[in-house]
Amino acid sequence: MKVGLFIPCYVDVVYPNVGMACYKLLRHLGIDVEYPQGQTCCGQPMANAGFEKKGAKLARNYKDMFEGYDYVVAPSVSCTAFIRLHYPSLLKEEGHACNIAANTMDMVEFLHDVVKVDKPLGCFPHKVSLHNSCHGVRELGLSSPSEIVEPKFNKIKDLLSLVEGIEIVEPERDDECCGFGGMFSIEELAVSKQMGERKFLRHKATGARYITGADCSCLMHMAGVAAKENIDGGIEFRHVVEILASGL
Amino acid sequence: MSTRNEIIERCRASISRRYERPSLHDLRPTRYDDILLTFVAQAEAAGCHVEIAKSPEEIDGIIAKVYPDAKVIASNLSEVKCATLNPDTVKDAQALNGTDVGVIRAMLGVAENGSVWIPQKMRERDVCFISENIVAVMPKKEIVNNMHEAYALITSPKFGYDDFQSYGYGVFMAGPSKTADIAQVLVRGAQAARSMTLILMEEQIR
Amino acid sequence: MSTSHSKAAMRFLEDQNYADWHDKTFWGVRTKRDAMVHSLEEWERLREKASQIKRHTLTNIDTYLRRFADAAEKNGTIVHWAKDADEFNKIVLGILRDHDAKKLVKSKSMLTEECELNPYLEANGITVVETDLGERILQLDDQKPSHIVMPATHLSHDDVGEIFEREINTEKGNHDPTYLTYEARLSLRDEFLTADAGMTGANFGVAETGDIVVCTNEGNADMSTSIPRLQISAIGLEKIVPDYEALSVFVRLLARSATGQPSTVYTSHFRKARPGADQMHIVIVDNGRSKWLADPEHWETLKCIRCGSCMNTCPVYRWSGGYSYSYFIPGPLGINLGMLRDPRKYSGNVSACTLCLSCQSTCPVKINLGEQVYIWRQQLESLGVANKEKKRMCDSMAALFGNPSLYNNLTASAFMLNSMPGFLVNSGINPWAYGHKMMKFPKQPFHKLIRKYQKNERNEDEDV
Repeated sequence: MKVGLFIPCYVDVVYPNVGMACYKLLRHLGIDVEYPQGQTCCGQPMANAGFEKKGAKLARNYKDMFEGYDYVVAPSVSCTAFIRLHYPSLLKEEGHACNIAANTMDMVEFLHDVVKVDKPLGCFPHKVSLHNSCHGVRELGLSSPSEIVEPKFNKIKDLLSLVEGIEIVEPERDDECCGFGGMFSIEELAVSKQMGERKFLRHKATGARYITGADCSCLMHMAGVAAKENIDGGIEFRHVVEILASGL
Repeated sequence: MSTRNEIIERCRASISRRYERPSLHDLRPTRYDDILLTFVAQAEAAGCHVEIAKSPEEIDGIIAKVYPDAKVIASNLSEVKCATLNPDTVKDAQALNGTDVGVIRAMLGVAENGSVWIPQKMRERDVCFISENIVAVMPKKEIVNNMHEAYALITSPKFGYDDFQSYGYGVFMAGPSKTADIAQVLVRGAQAARSMTLILMEEQIR
Repeated sequence: MSTSHSKAAMRFLEDQNYADWHDKTFWGVRTKRDAMVHSLEEWERLREKASQIKRHTLTNIDTYLRRFADAAEKNGTIVHWAKDADEFNKIVLGILRDHDAKKLVKSKSMLTEECELNPYLEANGITVVETDLGERILQLDDQKPSHIVMPATHLSHDDVGEIFEREINTEKGNHDPTYLTYEARLSLRDEFLTADAGMTGANFGVAETGDIVVCTNEGNADMSTSIPRLQISAIGLEKIVPDYEALSVFVRLLARSATGQPSTVYTSHFRKARPGADQMHIVIVDNGRSKWLADPEHWETLKCIRCGSCMNTCPVYRWSGGYSYSYFIPGPLGINLGMLRDPRKYSGNVSACTLCLSCQSTCPVKINLGEQVYIWRQQLESLGVANKEKKRMCDSMAALFGNPSLYNNLTASAFMLNSMPGFLVNSGINPWAYGHKMMKFPKQPFHKLIRKYQKNERNEDEDV
């Protein structure tokens, strides 16, 4: 099994440690992982703003880069969801068939559903509040959405429970949006900030020392709002994979 | 072209693909082990007071017990001897204003939501709404699980379809009138009845 | 890059206490909905059936409309057809004049809001009295609904108390909701008793039987139609369902989704004028619907049964209020309906969505509301209403991301932003700085770090 690692633009620039954690964890699990150089962005920021077509070239680059891999994994649920749900139509218009979109997975999905990790992972003896990002919940099915009547499950929790010493909690309104929304955070400044602040405060109310999630963009948003408002109270943000890989 | 035909034709022209109607055979709606208990619990949750009567003779007594101060009682049911007004013979709908208790017949109850089916069977149906309090008399054994079963039955003569058709009105009623329009505070008795009492009859009224 | 919605939302959020209360109030309704639906094992199957029945009915609406009108006429009801709002208003006024009706009591109808019937009738000498408590409060204060199911819930009991003190002479300072409700009951009782005509909207029209079905909790639709001698019911043509079997599916979904009740208090079936009354009229309204049916991307918006659950769950609605949307229906549904109505006029609402998709997860008829907002955004440019600044921004992003070596050069120096003077980073040129402290950029991006790491890995391998 050959796996390509996709590190989206903002993870590359702002959260390189998350990328490193992915790489190290996959190697630790004995997976043949490669990181092809020359990666940029999946095109989601333009698409959410109403200019999906401007991402067609990026989709083509992505396809060329990752053709031949069995899976592409990325530490970002919203980029993964965008690629899986929108690349097929974007590439179809360009006259490309697209299998790679269907084989693109978020790290959590890949570890949970393909690798089926069940052995103890790293050690993280802290109380951690889990942030369930919308696109993970409602597009990738990482957990059962609170709106839907079905048996409860949460793949992120399943994985985190393999970490030694961790205490996992969830905030009240456990899968309500944090208000990032890509271009939304630029266009709807006030509502975006308000939602980010309230979401952060619900995480804080759990008494957790860390907030974790499968999407760095939600974490980046909440961290930025909390710091600006001086309400962060020393709470730190970690991507799920960083916690899974900690101490390895 | 008439407006009717014009609108229908515009719709027709807008349809590019016609979808099939689904069958409901695999819906598997919830069925209740104790249907009577569920119905009573739901009716009470909707704000009903529930009484059980062994015979029609007990109805007057129940009304007197639950509404001791009632002076104007409107009903066209033969078993309600205490009625002071008859919605079949009042001058007009307005004449029923001031009714303390309206007594009407319900044909069946629905366990999932505690509602009862009331086909109109009186000349002035505002007795069902304008009365300060409403009493519905219903056979105890006519309770169905859910609205699917209810809608399958209300077109049968046994459940008053002839009256529904001839008067042209019927209502599923679940408890007293309610509103939460002011600050989401639940208040009973918004525009229609402030309270509802259900009398479940052990035996069929002849 | 603000939009009509984002500007209004910013004003809404100035009063934080009020905004908090607003969010909690509507989240409370969402919570009630959750409790109710999670107790019904077949809920998701029910939603799927409802969606399929709506698709079927809408794509056979020509047949069903004919069937409905024929059945209603056979019952003895008089059926009218209105192509647009103007025709609708004229038809209603015509019926009222034919019967010499001067006062009309009305139960809640979003269709009559859409057609702006009330001001039209009032301008023509008809006294119109809204009888749904929420609508009545708004009418007394000359406001519009801020929600389709709970039209006045944005007002506090003090607001309502003050309106009632002024308009219906309630006790000064008594703002108890129960007291106020009973005072409204008394004042409306007089209106019901003296009205010449009663009007309802319709939650459903049943094609097989010709029934108009109206769901209320207050019983005001029944009061409005069981006392006056004339009844008029208005129905949008998308509200037709085939028969009772289909109706049973929707009735089970509606109240659970709307308010978290297993059913409304009254589910009323109207077939004809009651004995001794004059007539019952049904007005079937198109007003754009037949055109929207042809829209390949957006026709499924017509499946809507107007439960309002998409509004209650929408965080943007909860944090910005009904009036921040420029269309008369707010929230996810309103964004989409506004765009169908007139994209040039209502495109300022399309920004009001984080694409969290909670709306379409609650929608009882499974309209893909959030995904449709995404599609509308893609269509803004061809409709000529795309924001130029946003387009330029996306052009630059596309240029940057489309060129990996340019991207690598630029990102290599991103950490230098850390040492930029705060007044530059945090200035108005940088919208991110409005709500966020700027992030710290690490010295090296991932694609550089990994290169070094892999080099070390290889060296270690050689050492072994």
